[in-house]
Amino acid sequence: MSSISLRAINKSYDGTTPVLHDVSMDIEDGEFIVIVGPSGCGKSTLLRLIAGLEQCQDGEILIAGERANEQLPQHRDIAMIFQNYALYPHLTVRENIAFGLELRKVPKKERNARALEVARTLQLERYLDRKPGALSGGQRQRVAMGRAIARNTSTFLMDEPLSNLDNALRVAMRTEIKALHRQLGATIIYVTHDQTEALSLADRIAVMKDGYLQQFDTPEAIYDQPANQFVASFLGMPPMNFLPADKVPFWKGDADIEIGLRPEALSINPAGAGDFCLPGRIAISEMTGSDVILHCDTDAGRLTLIEERTSLTKGGGDVLINVDLDRAHYFSKADGGRVNPA
Amino acid sequence: MKLENPVQSLFALLFGLLFLSPALYSIWLSFQTADAYYAGGLEFTVDNYGRAVGQYHFARYLLNSVIVSGIVTVGGISIATLAAYAFARFRFRGGDLLFGAVVATLMIPSHISLIPNYLTLAKVGLLDSYAGLILPAMASAFATFFLRQYIRGIPRSLDEAAYMDGATSLQVLWRVIVPLSRPAILSMALFIFIGEWNSYIWPLVAIGKDDLYTLQVGLARLYRINPGEGVIDWPLVMAASTISILPVLLGFALVERHLVRGITMGAVK
Repeated sequence: MSSISLRAINKSYDGTTPVLHDVSMDIEDGEFIVIVGPSGCGKSTLLRLIAGLEQCQDGEILIAGERANEQLPQHRDIAMIFQNYALYPHLTVRENIAFGLELRKVPKKERNARALEVARTLQLERYLDRKPGALSGGQRQRVAMGRAIARNTSTFLMDEPLSNLDNALRVAMRTEIKALHRQLGATIIYVTHDQTEALSLADRIAVMKDGYLQQFDTPEAIYDQPANQFVASFLGMPPMNFLPADKVPFWKGDADIEIGLRPEALSINPAGAGDFCLPGRIAISEMTGSDVILHCDTDAGRLTLIEERTSLTKGGGDVLINVDLDRAHYFSKADGGRVNPA
Repeated sequence: MKLENPVQSLFALLFGLLFLSPALYSIWLSFQTADAYYAGGLEFTVDNYGRAVGQYHFARYLLNSVIVSGIVTVGGISIATLAAYAFARFRFRGGDLLFGAVVATLMIPSHISLIPNYLTLAKVGLLDSYAGLILPAMASAFATFFLRQYIRGIPRSLDEAAYMDGATSLQVLWRVIVPLSRPAILSMALFIFIGEWNSYIWPLVAIGKDDLYTLQVGLARLYRINPGEGVIDWPLVMAASTISILPVLLGFALVERHLVRGITMGAVK
């Protein structure tokens, strides 16, 4: 049982500058939660509060229904994977993995067997007697993961564990983490600033900005129903386009809003006519493989969309951009909040 | 280090000999008889070592120095490591002020504290005892300062990882900080040992009994063994001096390979 609840958490490091404002969330047992946001938004601080490595000024942290604010990290039975891995450099991979078990006075034979079992899962058997200094970045990352898994705990905290890996390894490790979550059935709270990781891993995503929780929902809900302009712009690649409603010629509704259009809501209209079309000119085209990302300048602003590669999308030409208003999002100009236009 | 050319090698050899020559000369002298030395002749003997150990209680002085320096080194490095860990890793009320006070004591010449220390130990009746030699030397401000700086260089995330693994503060110190600080701790231990081994003024002031004299005090007494004749038995003094440097050389040989090696490589990305 490893549900975690945060109730109105406030945190400041210096007592004057708040880092977290009234953050509340309920995390179910076995859920994979990803906390995402730009640098300095408070996501790592939130993770450290759950770990017990920081104390909050206000609010309550409940682990398995019990108040844990005063509990020391070593008593919370939570495993953590650090961004910089934090492997003990003087210990071998085997000793690193078994360190937590040794502290719990598990007999040597048993903990070595467990270390071997974990190393097998993570394909680290060959490196068991090496020290971290003799491992590559990806291997160190797996040792850090092995150290957490070996303890058989029900909650894992991961602080940007893949941020130091190259792209190919990151994609591979992402899949491994997902598989591991299925296998262990543990609660995982994962911090990242990478939206692709967030969308691909999470059962639910917590989007944060400037210490405020912006939205806490499933990836689908966050993508399809973003709570505000920040959430809409943060998740999705290429990011959502925003056009001031008063600059869109075919818009007849409330002029005091921003119209949000994901690239997939836009397309080049080869026929050259339609009710909701914007004339534009291709400013930049970026080849991504089978598709091309087009950045088009219109009178209402720049729009980014994805198209298949055709002679039309080579760049430089005038185009007519079709807007699918059924897939549009609307946000208040005043506070950026999601609105339903009249 | 690989030397590039023969000229460099020759210079290195000459400088080496230049620095070694006083030590080599004193060792050579320790194997001469006093009569031959003063007559300008050469006569080889090992008798000076026998006299220093047998006739002038050097074995006892050696034992005293080993006991005192050993306990001061082990005790001093333990206290300094614990204090340095506290100063480096924990925030507590008055911590910075206390650390400032520790550093400030480095600026006080040791001779200034000689009389207060003497009076304090006289009051508690610890003069003329091992405790009187050991206790005032147990806290080393320099070792505390040095180790605190070293520990601050160890990534804090290693402590945090150990806490998450279930360690207590003392386990973090013993299982993570101490192994990673080994080069610094051994350097400081050697530094404390040499300092205590060579300590002369305090044992001279605090000890009045012959069987509690340390090597350095005993060595100084050898200068006075022929007071009437005004002649110093240099071969005997050099034999005693040679005996007194052997444990320091041994200590250095034991810890030398650990002194400069950094072992935090691979801890963090």
